[in-house]
Amino acid sequence: MTWVIPITIGVLVAGAVYLMLQRGMVRIIFGLALLAHAANLILLSAGVSAWRGEPLGDRLDLETAADPLPQAFVLTAIVIAFAITVFMLALAVIGHNDDTKRMPETGEFHDR
Amino acid sequence: MTAPLLPLLAVLPLTVAAVAVLVRGVVVQRVLLIGTPALVTVAGVLLLVEHQSTPVIAHNVGAFPAGVSIPFVSDTFSALMITVTSFTTMVTAVYLTLTGEDRLRFVPALALMMSGGVNGAFLTGDLFNLFVFIEVMLLPSYALIAVTGTWRRLGIGRLFVVVNLTTSTILLLGVGLVYATAGTVNLAELVGVAGEDPRVSLAISVVLLALGVKAGVVPVHGWLTRSYPATSSAVMALFSAVHSKVALYAIYRIYSTTHDGEAAWAPVLAVVVGVTIMVGAYSTFGEHIMRRALAWQMVSGVGHILLGLALFTELGLAAGIFYMIHHIITMGALILTSGAIEQTYGSGRYERLAGLARRDPWVAAAYALALLSIVGLPPSSGFFGKVGLMQASASAGAWQAWTFITIISVAALGSLIALQKLWSGVFWGPQMENYRPDSPRTGRGRRVPLPKDVRIGWVIAAPGAVLVVAQLAMFLLAGWLIPLALRASANLTELTPYAEAVLG
Repeated sequence: MTWVIPITIGVLVAGAVYLMLQRGMVRIIFGLALLAHAANLILLSAGVSAWRGEPLGDRLDLETAADPLPQAFVLTAIVIAFAITVFMLALAVIGHNDDTKRMPETGEFHDR
Repeated sequence: MTAPLLPLLAVLPLTVAAVAVLVRGVVVQRVLLIGTPALVTVAGVLLLVEHQSTPVIAHNVGAFPAGVSIPFVSDTFSALMITVTSFTTMVTAVYLTLTGEDRLRFVPALALMMSGGVNGAFLTGDLFNLFVFIEVMLLPSYALIAVTGTWRRLGIGRLFVVVNLTTSTILLLGVGLVYATAGTVNLAELVGVAGEDPRVSLAISVVLLALGVKAGVVPVHGWLTRSYPATSSAVMALFSAVHSKVALYAIYRIYSTTHDGEAAWAPVLAVVVGVTIMVGAYSTFGEHIMRRALAWQMVSGVGHILLGLALFTELGLAAGIFYMIHHIITMGALILTSGAIEQTYGSGRYERLAGLARRDPWVAAAYALALLSIVGLPPSSGFFGKVGLMQASASAGAWQAWTFITIISVAALGSLIALQKLWSGVFWGPQMENYRPDSPRTGRGRRVPLPKDVRIGWVIAAPGAVLVVAQLAMFLLAGWLIPLALRASANLTELTPYAEAVLG
């Protein structure tokens, strides 16, 4: 089953690239979320995916225990990606409309 | 002795940022905003003094055994970078208070958070931790770009966020690949590994590619020249002083540590460097707004800085590091002075400004000195920066000598002519007839006739002038600074002290 993860990563990256090439900000954000998932899977597979045992205290079995470091990486990366996704969704709501080129009403005086 | 205090340089600004969110008094916030970078500058100078006797000091956070823990490492190179960037951040913080931008929501906290991330990125000895600190540095800048600047920021903010986020993901991906191939992301354990194992070299090159986008290397520079000028001048000065320079510092550090010499793909780097220098210099011709022209000069500067790495001799690395310091200070001087002009006359366009040399002779003189510095003419720090790079190219080898010296000279000529266009547009010509004064409600008001007594205030021109004086001091004290740059470059070529300090 080792081929499942690489293929999943490939599909995720392909979808991410397709979505990021779209015009609307929301689709770009979805694309970036997919890309972040792909990166997380790569990080996870950096620790050998066949080892699934808990790397914890008395249950630690060095033969099967998973490598905890990539999991810690992924946890950090997920938190960061989540925070930025929320921020970008906020940017998609404010800011100007990409399709109509209408200027946003900020109360400021527009000058070219 | 001081090693356990190293994480404080990152923790202190972050903690103060939290305080700046809670305490909303004007005076307190301004003291925090200016005082914290000032304190970090002092700490950087103290570190530099300490490194005269001990070349590398390292601390494993939480006293975990070496190899498992997250190390914070300081050597002459990182201490030098911390000192210069914190000094520039401090001057920019003063400018932020003068334009009143620090009263915008959360700006002091965001600026402090950014400087915490920057210090962390300079000090960390772990690739994944570098990614985290780069994110800590970028997250506040996404917000800074959204609250300051012209209306263009609202579209440009998206470009900035999307480019930087995609690049961060590629950086993360590279770090994952490094872990998969080398089994560690600790720089001290990665010493020379990429030179032996081509798979690690490939993984490292993914990391360097991501950092190259963040630095603004041609052909992946387009986002920089579009997004930076759209922010306010204070935020642009912050970004130019820290963002690209953190990426450049990381490229220097990771490339030299992991390869312990030149990489197999070094010729690609040489080509990219040459193209970056040229494209940055000659694209300046196409701009009609001061800060947009300066953004192209930043791209050219990135090429000059990376030239040191492309040569990869001790002299070349030292020249590149010297150029990096010069570029931080000179770019800050130019951007802040342009900002003072924009703040007073309401525009940065060549055709809307004229005759400032007679109206504000002192500001014009400071700007002229900074322009000389960016082109590389004496009396300025840029003169020694370019002389150093040329000397290093000349002693590196036959083809490097003629190729790089030609590129530097031809690019300098282009920059000189292109910036003369800026000079004649803004500082020469007849007196201006109308301007756009600041309006408290809409940012900038309508165009009105210019009264005779409107001048750029001494106070608002002061931060830029301080940086101009600093670059002049770099010219006068070059004999003292160049040995420092040589010591910093020795940190990149002699890696045993680094590995020993971290791994014990």
